[in-house]
Amino acid sequence: MIFKRTALLFTAVVAAASLMVSCGPDENGNNGDDTTKIDSNANINVKVRGKIFSIPSPIQTAVLIKKTGVPFDKTILNPSDNSTNYSTKYQMALNLGVYGCDLGYLTMYEQNGDAMQYFIATQKLAEMLDVSDAFDKSLISRFQANIGKKDSMLALVSSAYRASDQFLQNNDRNDISALIIAGGWIEALHFACQTAKGNQDIINRIAEQKTTLTSLVGLMETYAGQEEYAELISQLKSLQADYEGIEYKYVYEKPETDEGKKTTTITSRTEVKITPEQLKAITDKIANLRQLVVG
Amino acid sequence: MAISKRYLTIILTAIALTFAAQSRAQICDSIASLCAKHLSTTYVSDGQVYRTLLVNDQTAEFRTTFYGGTTYRICACSGMTDGNLIFTIRDQDGNVLFSSKDYKNAPYWDFKITSTLDCTIEATLNQETAQSGCAVLLIGFKQ
Repeated sequence: MIFKRTALLFTAVVAAASLMVSCGPDENGNNGDDTTKIDSNANINVKVRGKIFSIPSPIQTAVLIKKTGVPFDKTILNPSDNSTNYSTKYQMALNLGVYGCDLGYLTMYEQNGDAMQYFIATQKLAEMLDVSDAFDKSLISRFQANIGKKDSMLALVSSAYRASDQFLQNNDRNDISALIIAGGWIEALHFACQTAKGNQDIINRIAEQKTTLTSLVGLMETYAGQEEYAELISQLKSLQADYEGIEYKYVYEKPETDEGKKTTTITSRTEVKITPEQLKAITDKIANLRQLVVG
Repeated sequence: MAISKRYLTIILTAIALTFAAQSRAQICDSIASLCAKHLSTTYVSDGQVYRTLLVNDQTAEFRTTFYGGTTYRICACSGMTDGNLIFTIRDQDGNVLFSSKDYKNAPYWDFKITSTLDCTIEATLNQETAQSGCAVLLIGFKQ
């Protein structure tokens, strides 16, 4: 009798769950029933106050540094040997982000031998974080096969990070995903501060981080209850205070669209004014923050 | 016996809910994989997948910074066919910089950015083809 009732119960629960799925997107990912209710607040993405924030790829800063003619400097990287020093998921995730940025920098400067070493270090960290599906052995082979092809190498690294982001979201591990993003952003700003030296394009890029930093602080505050995040959040907020004094002026211009090329040129502009004192304060704070992350 | 039945109920419910969540995630994954094809090899992914569930005329907001001197490709997908997700880009003052609905709900578009700016990307389902679904947004860049 009990087994019969249990079987009935199980059938009912599975039917309810199936209904939830069928009420969600069909095989096309869509649903034609407009009365269907779906939990639209389901936390698939990392959201802050209902908004989804995008943190620009750290590789973009590496690209800018190379483009402005700054010579290669290996000392600004986190040595690949350090990858074995990280014992907690928190440290591993942050440094997976750091190494992703380092990989982008090495690839841009065509330091192929080092890039391979960093790729292996990245793969090991990913394995320890249980996201090795995104950085599997076949990816290493493909990376190796594309050594010297800068665009292909960048595409492979970025796709692997996108796959790990997707995997972590699917498994409700948004905290790890957020730390990877934070690590990459910190390393990119560290690169910019170390290489700026009067280069206005890089200085502007440093100043342009205000909105991204605000998003990042919001993202990290989601995990404020966890002890190991406290110092990271505190230092990010301290850095945020230095951005408050930077002046921004936005001017709207009507965009131009070429429908045939599926391209819109956006000429609106933001002018930034950052003083040498503000730049020094940011440089000093990011150095401390980066030290906290890489150890 | 009553206690064990309660535990059994909890376990079965948990299994069923996990099953439902996994199915939903798989659908989003399939859409993301399809959407990634629009990035092609020319654009480097920013390493993130932006996704959320939308119902009826709900709008998802994605906030980002576009760097000057960069060309971005934005891909917006829902379902297994193109044109189910409409995206609109606004600047920090709310001015519309682009809307895919003006271009036959194009699933992707390129943006040449001359100067860095903060933007909001709004995504909403094309009500003519979809009333609910997983919305996926991908951002790629090239210098």
